[in-house]
Amino acid sequence: MEVTAMHFRRKATEKLNDANLQQALKKLQSRFVDSRATALAELPNFTEIRDAAADIRERAVGHLDSYLLRFEREATARGAVVHWAEDIEDANRLVVEIARRHGVRKVVKSKSMVTEECGLNDYLASVGVEVLETDLGEYILQLAHEPPSHIVAPVVHKSKEEIADLFEEKHRRPRNTQITEMCREAREVLRPGFLSADMGISGANFIIAETGSVLIVTNEGNGRLTTTLPRVHVAITGIEKVVPTLEDASTLLRLLPRSATGQSITNYVSVLTGTRGKDDPDGPEHFHIILLDNGRSRLLGTELQPMLRCIRCGACMNHCPVYQNIGGHAYGWVYPGPMGSVLTPAFVGLENAIDLPNASTFCGECAVVCPVKIPLPDLMRHLRRRQVERHLRPWSERAALRLWSWAAQHPAVYALFTRAAARLLHRLGGKKKSLRYLPGASGWTKGRDMPTPSGRTFRELYQARRAS
Amino acid sequence: MRVGLFVTCLVDLMRPSIGFAALRLLEAAGCEVVVPAGQTCCGQPGYNSGDSAAARALALKLLGEFKDCDYIVAPSGSCAGMIRVHYPALFANDPVELEFIKKLSGRTYELTDFLVNVVKIKNIPGRYSGTLTYHDSCAGLRELGVQAQPRALLAKMPGVTLAEMRESTTCCGFGGTFSVKFGDISTRMADKKCAHITQTGAAAVVAGDLGCLLNIEGRLRRNGDMQTRVLHIAEVLAGEYGENAWK
Amino acid sequence: MSARENILARIGKARGSSITADVDGEIRRHQRGPIPPLAGDLVKRFGERAASLASDVVQARTITEVPGLVARYLSERQLPRQGVCWPALAPYGWHSAGIELETRAARGDDLVGVTGAFAGIAETGTLMLLSGPETPATVSLLPETHVAVLESSRIVATMEQAWDRLRVERGALPRAVNFVSGPSRTADIEQTVTLGAHGPYRVLIIIVG
Repeated sequence: MEVTAMHFRRKATEKLNDANLQQALKKLQSRFVDSRATALAELPNFTEIRDAAADIRERAVGHLDSYLLRFEREATARGAVVHWAEDIEDANRLVVEIARRHGVRKVVKSKSMVTEECGLNDYLASVGVEVLETDLGEYILQLAHEPPSHIVAPVVHKSKEEIADLFEEKHRRPRNTQITEMCREAREVLRPGFLSADMGISGANFIIAETGSVLIVTNEGNGRLTTTLPRVHVAITGIEKVVPTLEDASTLLRLLPRSATGQSITNYVSVLTGTRGKDDPDGPEHFHIILLDNGRSRLLGTELQPMLRCIRCGACMNHCPVYQNIGGHAYGWVYPGPMGSVLTPAFVGLENAIDLPNASTFCGECAVVCPVKIPLPDLMRHLRRRQVERHLRPWSERAALRLWSWAAQHPAVYALFTRAAARLLHRLGGKKKSLRYLPGASGWTKGRDMPTPSGRTFRELYQARRAS
Repeated sequence: MRVGLFVTCLVDLMRPSIGFAALRLLEAAGCEVVVPAGQTCCGQPGYNSGDSAAARALALKLLGEFKDCDYIVAPSGSCAGMIRVHYPALFANDPVELEFIKKLSGRTYELTDFLVNVVKIKNIPGRYSGTLTYHDSCAGLRELGVQAQPRALLAKMPGVTLAEMRESTTCCGFGGTFSVKFGDISTRMADKKCAHITQTGAAAVVAGDLGCLLNIEGRLRRNGDMQTRVLHIAEVLAGEYGENAWK
Repeated sequence: MSARENILARIGKARGSSITADVDGEIRRHQRGPIPPLAGDLVKRFGERAASLASDVVQARTITEVPGLVARYLSERQLPRQGVCWPALAPYGWHSAGIELETRAARGDDLVGVTGAFAGIAETGTLMLLSGPETPATVSLLPETHVAVLESSRIVATMEQAWDRLRVERGALPRAVNFVSGPSRTADIEQTVTLGAHGPYRVLIIIVG
């Protein structure tokens, strides 16, 4: 996907003023925040389960090669072909080769954020392969030519009126704003696609080393249809998604749906192993699994390694007060919110996504809700350190910080500065005791007054008290 | 017990009354309070902007100033959190300094946490009459577990009626330099916090961090609300607030 | 060097000298994580949970009662009394109950699919279905109505217990294990949960025995 993260600031401001989006974002509270809380309250040993989940993911990430090799062995023994892709070019090329080898002209897809990284749909279209997104949200985005704004609920930013408009235009049917009717319309439009497609492409929520299986969670049934009906199935996954055993997957499955949508389990959990047996009445004849790196292995052994534990639940963005106010598109790439603020700079280059790790108050709510205990604010702070080390910050900012730190280490100088500042601000604030404009701090004063101080610093008052 | 009061750079510059309120409370609780004269800043602005070297320098300075104290208390969850949680992380690779830093961190407390859990203050000197609402500042809440303590102290004040706001634990949008760098987003977050405050009908909003309070007050006043008082928990508990409090 | 070699080399280098995982041992042990406590009657819990996820749940004493229950279910909802079924369920007198079922995989226009289930998971009210020559996956997926006949003795507490059963009874995983927890659904439009997306609109679970 094209990177537009460098326009974060401008887009964030646009999104704050987008009335439709602001209305849509209100739904985050009940649908995601409240339901997650309710679902987790059902687990009396939630803390234990979360500790175990974090361990499982950290262990897998810490020995990625061992588990990937075992996965490859098991999957291959069951008839799957395992491919390794270093980057998105590799992955796209592999998909096209597989499509050509099997005479594929039509593809159905179930939701996969990794394929968004690759820009796979556009690539396939450019070589003449027709791709149909089948997850309702992704299908709507395909019609609208828009990227997803959330990793679990891709069209959270759209109202039903906007979707009704799209359906009317593209389906050439009478406009319908009744949600159940719209879903039925989508079902009817998409079903022929499932039945006639040559190839199904999916992601993987987890891949299981023990059995060489690909595990997919969905609610709609499109995941099952995509991976059952066409004669070729291609599953594309990041290399970090491997878990050791079926039991490990079961532990993670207690937290993934609850953290994502507040469900105790997603409607469908599919564990797919190998190709159709000779007596099987259904299933793909060919199963290709593409293990994509695209920068993940470079995070290993660095301070960002914990980010690889991520199970893509979306809880962090659901609970992030910044995301709740600006939505996902401002983040300018596949992954928004707190996890996106770490992954985007990590994958596309810090210099292309400078604002992302900075657009956080470090309130810490993301780390609280992460089911695998990723210390997201610490990771964002690490990226801020990297910016300073790589001289990516404006010189004025570095100078101001240097001055502050230097002064703070020299109490006498500091006292002079602060006494002067206290008097000046007090004077400027006047009787109203506040300022409507403060040079150098227009980011504050554009929307808020600045209360002004009483005119004397604590240190000088305290000294005076002590003396008297 | 010898308590070192770290007033914080914001309090020093913008609202000394909070520092004096904290002093009054600690003395009322029977502590011997010292206020190291050279104290300036805990280093959080540099730390959160990616300048760890500067943060380390300020940490060592603070260590030197407070090393003879049994406890360090700050009327701020974010500064206390910086010392308690982040100082050890800053020195994770310097085992010699780490040992001293850990001793310092282990003795550092946010004010209400100290009053409730260490000195177990019985009598609250302040008098307040009316409804107020409490905003849970992020660092205090999530780094230090400060949530029940201020409420327990307010409950000891007979004139206080506490009206809880919706989403009291949602960030107000201050976030240090975030409030200036991403002013639009910050202002929207502050606006939502102010709406929740106003909905309670409380006469005052109270919190444990001056950064939050300045942010909230700034937005209330810009919105035309001149009535709602914006107070630090120390000021309410100590009975010192308002313009003349420091006299 | 191939992509595979490059990737593995980078991973190995980053791991450095830390001990390689005992993958074989771990997989042999397949240790369970913490399980939430589940008190009481598993069959009851299964039924309650499945119902809370919008499945329709009824109980039958013996399998011979099943066609009658299905016939009633379908006519109450004015649904057509024809469809497809798994071979194991064919011999139970559907025709006399007025239901025409063909024993084959489902096609796009089949409206009712009748299956069994390998197990039921009480923790979440979930059906576990295995693909295979006698258990085509499409029968529970393509039709608008899915009827699942579940023996009460095959209801276990957790997914972990279901895996163990599978290991003991089958050895290896089939091509597809599908855990089904109710009718298909989506909330993509305005976060409003709507039942009936691409899979079935309704699921009838008949617990037998």
